[in-house]
Amino acid sequence: MIEFRDFSLTYPTGSRPALQKIDFIVPRGQICAVVGADGAGKSTLAGVISGVVPHMTGGETTGWARIGSRMLAETPASELVGEVALVMQNPFNQLSGARFSLREEIAFGLENLGVDRAEMVRRVEQVMADLRLTALADLSPYEMSGGQQQLLAIGSALVMRPAVMVLDEPTSQLDAVGAGVVFDALETLRTQGVTVILFEHRMERPARCVDRVLVLDEGRIAADGQPDDVLTDPRLADWGVAPLRYTTAARQAVERGLWEADRPLPVTLEAAAEGFDAALKGARTAGGL
Amino acid sequence: MVLHIDSLVHRYPNGMTALAGVSLTVKAGERVAVVGPNGAGKSTLARHLIGIARPTSGRVEVNGRDAAGLGIADLARSVGFVFQNPDAQLHAATVAKEVGFGPRNLGFPADRRTALTEWALRVTGLTGEADSHPRHLSFGGRKRVALASVLAMDTPIIVLDEPTTGQDHRSVTLLEELLRGLHSQGKTIIAITHDTDFCAENFDRVVVLAEGRVQWDGPVEHWLEGAVDPPVSAFEQPQITRLGQRLGWPTPVVTVDGFLDRLTDHASSAD
Amino acid sequence: MDMSSHAVGDSPVHRLNPLTKLVFAVTVTVSAFAFTMIWWPPLLFCVAIVPMVIVSGTQRKFFPTFLALWVPVALTVCLMQGFFYPGAHRVVAGIGPLELKYEGLVFATQTALRVMVLMGGFFLLLLTTRPGTMMSAMTQRGMSPKTVYVVSAALQIAPALAGRAQGIMHAQQARGLSVTGLRGRVRALVPMAGPLILGALTDVGDRAVAMETRGFGTTRHCTYLTEVPDSTAQRAARAAMELCALTAVVANVLGVLR
Repeated sequence: MIEFRDFSLTYPTGSRPALQKIDFIVPRGQICAVVGADGAGKSTLAGVISGVVPHMTGGETTGWARIGSRMLAETPASELVGEVALVMQNPFNQLSGARFSLREEIAFGLENLGVDRAEMVRRVEQVMADLRLTALADLSPYEMSGGQQQLLAIGSALVMRPAVMVLDEPTSQLDAVGAGVVFDALETLRTQGVTVILFEHRMERPARCVDRVLVLDEGRIAADGQPDDVLTDPRLADWGVAPLRYTTAARQAVERGLWEADRPLPVTLEAAAEGFDAALKGARTAGGL
Repeated sequence: MVLHIDSLVHRYPNGMTALAGVSLTVKAGERVAVVGPNGAGKSTLARHLIGIARPTSGRVEVNGRDAAGLGIADLARSVGFVFQNPDAQLHAATVAKEVGFGPRNLGFPADRRTALTEWALRVTGLTGEADSHPRHLSFGGRKRVALASVLAMDTPIIVLDEPTTGQDHRSVTLLEELLRGLHSQGKTIIAITHDTDFCAENFDRVVVLAEGRVQWDGPVEHWLEGAVDPPVSAFEQPQITRLGQRLGWPTPVVTVDGFLDRLTDHASSAD
Repeated sequence: MDMSSHAVGDSPVHRLNPLTKLVFAVTVTVSAFAFTMIWWPPLLFCVAIVPMVIVSGTQRKFFPTFLALWVPVALTVCLMQGFFYPGAHRVVAGIGPLELKYEGLVFATQTALRVMVLMGGFFLLLLTTRPGTMMSAMTQRGMSPKTVYVVSAALQIAPALAGRAQGIMHAQQARGLSVTGLRGRVRALVPMAGPLILGALTDVGDRAVAMETRGFGTTRHCTYLTEVPDSTAQRAARAAMELCALTAVVANVLGVLR
């Protein structure tokens, strides 16, 4: 479980707090998306959860935050290894830079933790299979494309079997196939009881799989709720988050009488298709009368 | 015709083929989106347009001149290339100096340089940041500086590599507005992207690249009509296109407005 | 990008523990330098290194690359020593004011032949050993993981940096920067070095975070994915080779065979 209570953080060089009075609880096994404009505090929040901020960056905090029974203010990242895994935006910087093959790179964290070799081999092979990386196992991480490095960075985090996964735009360099692989892996994590905090700009896939969406705006929580509610909020664009086309289309269709006014606005393809089908049938029946 | 690519083949030293015979003609003022899965050869194709990659065989013609005979800095007068990663180019102490770097290299007179720099800063929403250090901006901000620094070179062709990656909604909205402005000025715009929604709403023509070949090339409103190749179907279609398909509509729609018009037609047609 | 000279294979030589190959390379080198007979290094090369190369099946990569590296070294040594060997007096040929001398050529030949053994031994090691296995073997022999990290990263960072520098140069050239001629090169310095250095600094900061969250430097006992095969026979072979090397050094010190 992750819990933030009245948590604020100001960087040494910051004029205003990067996070202000953050309050939320993410229960174990929940997949929570965090969205917001550039500079809304997403990276800071990711850093706090993974024990990087303020321990490696400096900064004044008030209030508190914890993961399970560990208070984050007192727990640097090195003590959270194995419990919290962080996948950063730039996959290249996530690599150890000292391993000569993808397979060895994925094992790097396990080696540091002293995981038994047989267990390590099992986990590494499993992760490579899950992320469709087995064919690249012997390739040097330096020779891989940005998209492949991104999958490798995710694999290196998954293999640690953390209780909490923090993912910062994990599919930014991936095409639909690669992104599909990543979101399938998130579904697997859900069944294993792993808590996932996902930072994203593009919401179509998250809308389908996350349990909850948290909107950050200028360091504060602007909205917090289920994707159906938060992603259809009319203020979404003002918070710097692109509304889904399905939602926009339905909202505009309401004005033309082609979306039933009492039907919730859709955030998935399925819901949109169902709603528009119903509206078309309704229109035809009305026209036929 | 501002760009003419004929049977372009690009093979890496290790023998891997990135482009296996691409032919493409772009007319002045066109807005072309090059889309396709990872590893399709999109970026390699773009690199040929500015001469940082050279054909293994085939020909690239820019503004009627064979690119083979032109250096990278010569081609820079015709083609402005906005790289995916802004950090590969930001070096100046202020945003304004960074943006003025290109025009100075091209030897523009001082008054034209100033005018272009001011314009580029304005249309990218950076006027207020003119004196900031580029490295102090957010990733999205740095990406806009890189864009402005290319716009200031006033090239007839602008090529953008993954312009929406890592950009929030405000930045994307600003970019879309900017692209409309450039289009009305008659600039040729080519974007490489895997953001198919962005592509559907801001471009006239789509070129689908997969496995080093052009798999589909046509007007955006006919999105992939008649395409049969599996690599093409493996990459994501725009949200609105998929919605239209799901509703069983026989021909594709690509924008919300197009969708609503079609919806209205369907609602009023009694069947 | 070719990160190492490693030639993929699964020969008995490839499967040897990297340490065995390292001890082999050191032993042949020490032996080559220990004795003065001019035929000794070529003999060593033919009876020790060549068979190993053949067994490893890498001869098609070994010999061309080896010659490309060794021949220029040998020629340079011959010319330098031939002309400038101190105390030499038997002139073989004269080129203008320079005189090629016999003693110098003899010394140069001997040095070049010794270097042939040194390069052959170590090149065989590099060619038949995955760098990752090498590093794993080092750590398992007690070298600190941090030292091994630095060595491994250094081996790979140069090509990565070169790739990035090229990317930056392309980005700046695409903005009309001309990098031809002396003036062009000087003017290109800041636009090139700035992004390279600042980029590297950002990377270091990010990478420190990543390493921390991946448990690097924790005091717990490390384990290794890459299994490094070893055997009693190999341990015995290493001991025997170490003994040979030691004997050669002792013989050299005592002045036997020189």
